Amino acid sequence: MSAHSATGMFTEAPPEAVAAEMERRVRRFLAELTEEALASILEEAHYLERKRVELHPEPEVEPLLDALAEALLKRDREAREAAALALTRRWAEEIHGAFSTSVYRFATRVLPTGVAGLIVPSPRRLRDWRPPSLEGALQVDGDFPFLQELAREATLILAPTHVSNMDSPLIGLALYQAGLPPFRYGAGLNLFSNPVMSFFMSRLGAYTVDRTKSSRLYKQVLKEYSVRLLTTRQHSLFFPGGTRSRSGGLERDVKKGLLGTGLTAWQENLEANRPQGEIYVVPMTLTYTLVLEAETLIRDHLAEAGKQRFIISDDEFARPSKVFSFARRLLELDGGVVARLGEPLDLFGNKVARSRHERGEQASHRMGFVTDRGGKVVRDPQRDRVYTERLSRALTAAYPGLTTVTSNHLVARVAWRALEEREGTTDPFRLVRTPAWRRVVSREELITRLRAAMGVAEEGAAAHRWHTRLPSTAEEALSEALTAFRRFHHSRALADKGNVLRIDNPNLCYYYQNRLQHLGV
Amino acid sequence: MQVGILGGGRWGQALARVVMAAGHQPLIAWKDVKPPHLFPSSNKPPEVSERCELLLVAASGSLVRQAIRLAAPGPHNRVVVAGRGVEPGTGTWLTEVVLQESDVLRVGALAGPAPVEEILQGGLCAGVVASPFKEVQDLTTEALHCSRYRVYHSHDLLGVQIASAAVPVIASLLSITSGLRGAGTGLNALVLTRALSETSRLVEAMGGAPETLYGLAGLGDLLAVKEQDRYRVPRGERPPDGPVALAQALLRLAAEHHVEMPLTEGLEAFHRGVDPLEVVGALMARKAQPERR
Repeated sequence: MSAHSATGMFTEAPPEAVAAEMERRVRRFLAELTEEALASILEEAHYLERKRVELHPEPEVEPLLDALAEALLKRDREAREAAALALTRRWAEEIHGAFSTSVYRFATRVLPTGVAGLIVPSPRRLRDWRPPSLEGALQVDGDFPFLQELAREATLILAPTHVSNMDSPLIGLALYQAGLPPFRYGAGLNLFSNPVMSFFMSRLGAYTVDRTKSSRLYKQVLKEYSVRLLTTRQHSLFFPGGTRSRSGGLERDVKKGLLGTGLTAWQENLEANRPQGEIYVVPMTLTYTLVLEAETLIRDHLAEAGKQRFIISDDEFARPSKVFSFARRLLELDGGVVARLGEPLDLFGNKVARSRHERGEQASHRMGFVTDRGGKVVRDPQRDRVYTERLSRALTAAYPGLTTVTSNHLVARVAWRALEEREGTTDPFRLVRTPAWRRVVSREELITRLRAAMGVAEEGAAAHRWHTRLPSTAEEALSEALTAFRRFHHSRALADKGNVLRIDNPNLCYYYQNRLQHLGV
Repeated sequence: MQVGILGGGRWGQALARVVMAAGHQPLIAWKDVKPPHLFPSSNKPPEVSERCELLLVAASGSLVRQAIRLAAPGPHNRVVVAGRGVEPGTGTWLTEVVLQESDVLRVGALAGPAPVEEILQGGLCAGVVASPFKEVQDLTTEALHCSRYRVYHSHDLLGVQIASAAVPVIASLLSITSGLRGAGTGLNALVLTRALSETSRLVEAMGGAPETLYGLAGLGDLLAVKEQDRYRVPRGERPPDGPVALAQALLRLAAEHHVEMPLTEGLEAFHRGVDPLEVVGALMARKAQPERR
């Protein structure tokens, strides 16, 4: 399916217009706060920003914070709002970045081939050369014609599970393969420090999110930016999990902040009577045969509870050469990455009807959830939080059905279960500390267990509970998994030792098997 | 404000009385039996849904599904179920039944003591409305709160529904054990406190607030039903289907959430015909436990 068949490419306003609109939005937000709430939110922003710039000096921010401190002391509402606006203006500029519609349009046309060229291995002989393509390596599934139709008539929010920093570029490619327009997405400021990633991200529609800024005021500016995108028909991508899954498991709980901006934007569209004002949410999963950052992520997950780092800036992504060597090895595997787009949902977690007529009825019906009897939108942030909670439950319920059971995840699961039974515990902290000589399972036992697990996996796939990408025999599945595990990581999740298999790196084995916790094997 | 009440029975009439006392107009939707003229009513339930934003469902658990189908409430309605926790047979939460059978999203539950005849005669009482939606709590409070009926509000919809479902179970247990030869106030106190405790563990395991059990929907309602001698199990007879169905629904949840509920299991055992003395003996022989687990 070609990307040319889909419309929905957006035109971004000039930077001055974006800045003006952001200022208008933040001004309105501040004006609606009570005196007490305004003081509380500004005091918090001042305190947290001061602490932040102590660690990461930003000379331009200091005077803005001084002005804010002075305004807070004065107890003058006008001065307080003005000082807050000066600070948020700076943030809004940073979030929006140097986005240019013309560069974006050009980049979305040439980058997919460029990215493929970089990560697909070069041919040995010139006559074998073909235009680089990721077909086979990146498998993309979903109801593309339906999603394309929705992308033309509404604004879409893509809500994928988050596994790796490679997600965003691969999702960009998956959308291209699916004939869907590109999506805007928030990327951590730390990712922009990798020049290669930064190049791709900013040109593929990324905006900047600085997760070291934790004040409510900053988060509000981000939300206002997201609402602005959605009300100007810019499809957006949110990772509802907020950060990469540390355990390797599927997201069970999602962050509602950005997801909730969908409802705010939709209500603004209703109030302004904007055409094509509907907003739909598309769940998505990516299944990787190998995950570049697996070792760092799982180490962090297993670190003492409560001490996990929300932002990891020193992982495998810090080295561009490593990213590309990994991407090549991953994508040499047939079906190394499977991207699956699920059934679209409305902002209340209900499935969107396929027929246009029915969708129209659904749209007029759902207005009743937010309007009074006269059809006027009634704003109620508490009500909207409950609605978004419902949407997030629908998303987490959709994810298991979009997963793909692959040989390496299933083999890791089976080997881990054998270890659990042998050691008489399911406590991962104890299991990862088991001595190496006890982390072995006979080939015969593993094959027997794997055969049974493959039966369960295929039965579940037949019942549409998930998908499988498995060879026909357990022996082939084991061989596929061992090849994958040999491929990249320093030590192997599972290694072939003749008659026995040994869990060489229990952290990795635990990480890969976590993806299939919902399988019940 | 006009408040719709689905169900024209005595409980529906009692709620209508409270709505009037709070200065609002009730509109009872009925199907088979017309309520007395004192209360405005309609035998066209969809009309009631159309006219009233707030609908109170005053049908028994087994009839909630039918009442919702008949009234066909829509997205603009807020529906508050004033029944006992779960639907017998399916074990589905009554608010879930509303979500399944209609396009309503804003639901809540009204629970607490419901001495119907007392309320109809102007007696004083109180209830708790639980909903994740603040606006549902506010609207219901406005509709019912008055000098004769106090309304408390809570976010803990799950806890209130479990508490409300557990009351008949605990009341039946108390009725059986107090009738045993040699039983006295000590056994009653033991059953009452431990049954509340095990149910609060279930509420906590499911993400609700354990203290809800000790509020109007749990302990409050339990005191009222004991005073009224409801859910009495005649000596030597097995407990009736209603409380047993509720016990079974609670036990299914307990199994899913790995919570032990030995007393609730006890009611199920009485129903299967196990000798009450044997059940009590087994409960007393359990190993010692800390009071709060």
